[in-house]
Amino acid sequence: MALKFRLLPALQYAVIASTCFKLLLYPAYKSTDFEVHRNWLAITHSKPLNEWYYEDTSEWTLDYPPFFAYFEWFLSQFAKYVDAGMLVVENLDYSSTATVYFQRTSVTLSELVLAYALQNYISLLPENNRQPAYAVAMSIYFSPGFLIIDNIHFQYNAMLFGVFVWSLVAMKQQRFLLGAIVFAVLLCFKHIFLYLAPAYFAYLLRVYCLEFGDFSRKSLISAIRWKNSLRLGSSVILVALIAFGPFIYLGQIPQLLKRLFPFSRGLCHAYWAPNIWALYSSTDRALFLLLRRLLNNPVYAEDSATLTRGLVGISSFNVLPDVQPRTTFLLTTFYQLIALIPMVINPTQDKFVSALTLCGYASFLFGWHVHEKAILLVIVPFSFLTLKDRRYLTPFYLLAVSGYVSLFPLIFTSPEAPIKYLYTFTWIFAFYNVFDDLAPVRTTRRVFLLDRIARVYLLGFIPLLLFVALYDKFTMFKGFEFLRLMLISTYCSLGIIGSFIGFSWLYLFT
Amino acid sequence: MPPSEVSTTSGSTETTLKSEILSTAEAESKSSTIGQQIGTDDETPLSVFLSPFKGARTQWVARQVIIMICLLFRLGVGLGPYSGFNDSPMHGDFEAQRHWMEITYHLPMKDWYWYDLQYWGLDYPPLTAYHSWVLGAIGSKVKPSWFELDTSRGCEDVNLKSYMRNTVLISELLIYIPAVSVFVRWTIKNQKLSPLHQSIASAAILLQPALMLVDHGHFQYNAVMLGLALISITNILNDKLVVGSVFFVLSLCFKQMALYYSIPIFAYLLGICLFPRLNLPRFISLAVSVLTTFALVLAPIVLSSGDGLKGAYRQVLQILIRIFPFARGLWEDKVANFWCTFNTFVKLKHLYSADTLQRFSLVATLVSVLPAFFMLLIYPRKKALIWGVSASAWGFFLFSFQVHEKSILLPLLPVTLQLAAEPGVNVQSYIYWINNVAVFSLWPLLKRDRLVLQYFAVSFLANWLMASFTKLPDALLGKLVITMSYAGIALLHVVEFLIEPPARYPDLWVICNTTLSFGCFTIFLFWNYIQLYKACRAKV
Repeated sequence: MALKFRLLPALQYAVIASTCFKLLLYPAYKSTDFEVHRNWLAITHSKPLNEWYYEDTSEWTLDYPPFFAYFEWFLSQFAKYVDAGMLVVENLDYSSTATVYFQRTSVTLSELVLAYALQNYISLLPENNRQPAYAVAMSIYFSPGFLIIDNIHFQYNAMLFGVFVWSLVAMKQQRFLLGAIVFAVLLCFKHIFLYLAPAYFAYLLRVYCLEFGDFSRKSLISAIRWKNSLRLGSSVILVALIAFGPFIYLGQIPQLLKRLFPFSRGLCHAYWAPNIWALYSSTDRALFLLLRRLLNNPVYAEDSATLTRGLVGISSFNVLPDVQPRTTFLLTTFYQLIALIPMVINPTQDKFVSALTLCGYASFLFGWHVHEKAILLVIVPFSFLTLKDRRYLTPFYLLAVSGYVSLFPLIFTSPEAPIKYLYTFTWIFAFYNVFDDLAPVRTTRRVFLLDRIARVYLLGFIPLLLFVALYDKFTMFKGFEFLRLMLISTYCSLGIIGSFIGFSWLYLFT
Repeated sequence: MPPSEVSTTSGSTETTLKSEILSTAEAESKSSTIGQQIGTDDETPLSVFLSPFKGARTQWVARQVIIMICLLFRLGVGLGPYSGFNDSPMHGDFEAQRHWMEITYHLPMKDWYWYDLQYWGLDYPPLTAYHSWVLGAIGSKVKPSWFELDTSRGCEDVNLKSYMRNTVLISELLIYIPAVSVFVRWTIKNQKLSPLHQSIASAAILLQPALMLVDHGHFQYNAVMLGLALISITNILNDKLVVGSVFFVLSLCFKQMALYYSIPIFAYLLGICLFPRLNLPRFISLAVSVLTTFALVLAPIVLSSGDGLKGAYRQVLQILIRIFPFARGLWEDKVANFWCTFNTFVKLKHLYSADTLQRFSLVATLVSVLPAFFMLLIYPRKKALIWGVSASAWGFFLFSFQVHEKSILLPLLPVTLQLAAEPGVNVQSYIYWINNVAVFSLWPLLKRDRLVLQYFAVSFLANWLMASFTKLPDALLGKLVITMSYAGIALLHVVEFLIEPPARYPDLWVICNTTLSFGCFTIFLFWNYIQLYKACRAKV
């Protein structure tokens, strides 16, 4: 892939302007993820490779795949010139100004990966027809998700999504091998992208490894393109070997898996991600309260302490039946299969991106212990489809607004609160108008009622957010602290489920 | 500036945008390039950002988005520390403002200007006091301990900081930002420029780094005073003279620094009452509105003592003593004005008594300001008004008594407004330049407040968005002055970063800063007078 080092002017300007703003966010609140990444810098720098996945001085042990660890090691090579203090494993919660500036700057610089990947995406189109691509690229680059999670909360998502977009662009260019390798690299950076892997697997299998050109041949064996399959298999294995090879050699794979997939966690994360289980949990809570009020049954007369269990992650319920990991796995697989079948039958580019989006949806909505941040795995692939068809706009707005609002509780400190509200609102306002202008004129009848409902739903966020912001002022809710977060995740889950249904409908029936 | 230079050049053939940018603007870019509309030949990053917004509806969207982005940058600056943070026992301007909210909320009105004057006694005019009272009342509803009488002194609760920051932002959003929008609309109407120019010009004015850093970083409410003054100027330009004079009095009653503007505004108003022929009804209505506004603003406090005429007199006198602190000396901190710079070479404070210095300063200020007064009196023209206001403000800043470095915002406002009113690189280059010098003159203050990152980020943003470093005037002398002073600024920053000042002169870098800034400001004052002269002599 010819990587142009000079960014297109519009993208270059976007990078500079957003960097100016992000510089101002350096003194902002940072979550424990900042300390997590500092600790990883320290581990990878001062410990030998064979201790990386065993080191547990800090509770924030290394639980990302090896490429991310290598990336941290790479950063630590520069960190030692800035402030060696951050590279000492025992320096827990070390956050000197130099450390903060260094780590924040590493995030800002790593976002260039996303900018270059988006440049490649824009360059796919002829120069006189790039406006929609520009709009989509800008909407991703300026996403409030990245601002909240990366630049305030502290993570490196923009870089990882840059790699993802790069892979997607390669797939669009029919360079399947490259796309697959880049995606494999991405998985070795952060395994959460496994959510999207089924779509990659099925699509590559269908268009790269199998050949159905001649239907007279009945046997499946004869449809296999052996050369391609071999190429694909060997290169993906090679990537995995580069990542995991040293640890295979050291015999540490079981330990790595234990770190990467900690299944001891509950169904829902501390703050419920807005998915089916948030809805399920809140229904359970509501039923519990109702039954306690109605029946006065000793079974339901537990103290309200159990109610707040939502704050520490739950896997058992008071009224409704418990959910097993197997159930979530089966549901996820089922919905992913439904998404994959039309794509396998008719493997077009758009179907592939749709299937990716739906895989993201399915994993997010039905998965076990989903983080709210994973919503980016749905929003980013969906963004590439929004301007294909006007009918995608409503599900997209629903998804983006609910998804971004559901990230608000990540930032709970007062100085940053106006920034998260205003930035997200500005993004919604600007791209609502830009997309509305650019989306192709509709050819088929729109379902007006659904659009109306969606609009009313979106307006509902205003009272919701007001209520949540002024929550402490309502004394009648004292002792119901969980309600604040529950309200947000439940309301957002309605929007995300709605957009899932709308999107699936468009994908499956049109 | 002859208007022909400014006029829009239309036709698709004229487009100079690069092909990539063209594609973002697509077919709509056929009208004309934005660069030419603002009177420059090259497009700036800002104009590229705004290029997709050309239709009437998207124009509206663009303006809203610009305001939101300006607010976001202000919030970003606000994440930084404020003046006097962690600096017991006196803290800084932040504590002063908080303290005024505390005393106005808790004390009866008659005590406002008398209470414990040693600890940040109220020394701004009554409108600031009322403003503080409102904010203190609201704040006490949010959390009473922030504004508890006496015990809240030096409160550094992070949520208090957020509350205070938000009050600055909302005050600015309600007063200054609409004022800028209305002013820019006047210039557009006046010069028949495209609506896109409106967005670009308001962004250029709203992203002025100095105001952002002082109000949202250091912490003050200058935007309220400046906004009120701007509303006044805009109304005068729109021939709503009574409304204009009322707002000017309000501005004065918010911060006495608005006096810097008073002489040219008075001259202009007097001028249009006298020329082309005497207009007595106009004069009387203006006089009545000014006096009534003053009376209404002062009345609550003056009458609060309830001691008849004597009490009222005592209150008025106390307010005057508080807001004009002649006893505090010619200057306090190092500031880039004549007295402080001159003092480096001749120790004025040793040579003359305070009274003599006061007289010197009065004479010098009058000398620098009176030409503007007479020019506006004889030629009360709209275009000349803004140049006159800035000339007078520069005169006050450079020569008057008790000037703070933050007062640079006053001359800077009318100058920056010219970005909208006077397109053309020969004017704009000087304005960007003096804005940069002004921010540089705030550097010692901002460094003390630990707003270094914010200083560089915001200054870079403003200059980069307008591509101001690529703009130089045609005149060789201008080119020379601008490039040399930029070189000096860069050099001083580097030297300060690398070398500690010698122990004998710990303030050496600060003095270099103020001296360099003073030189630039003085040159600008002369240039400003040339512009004023041109505007007065131009054919109507």
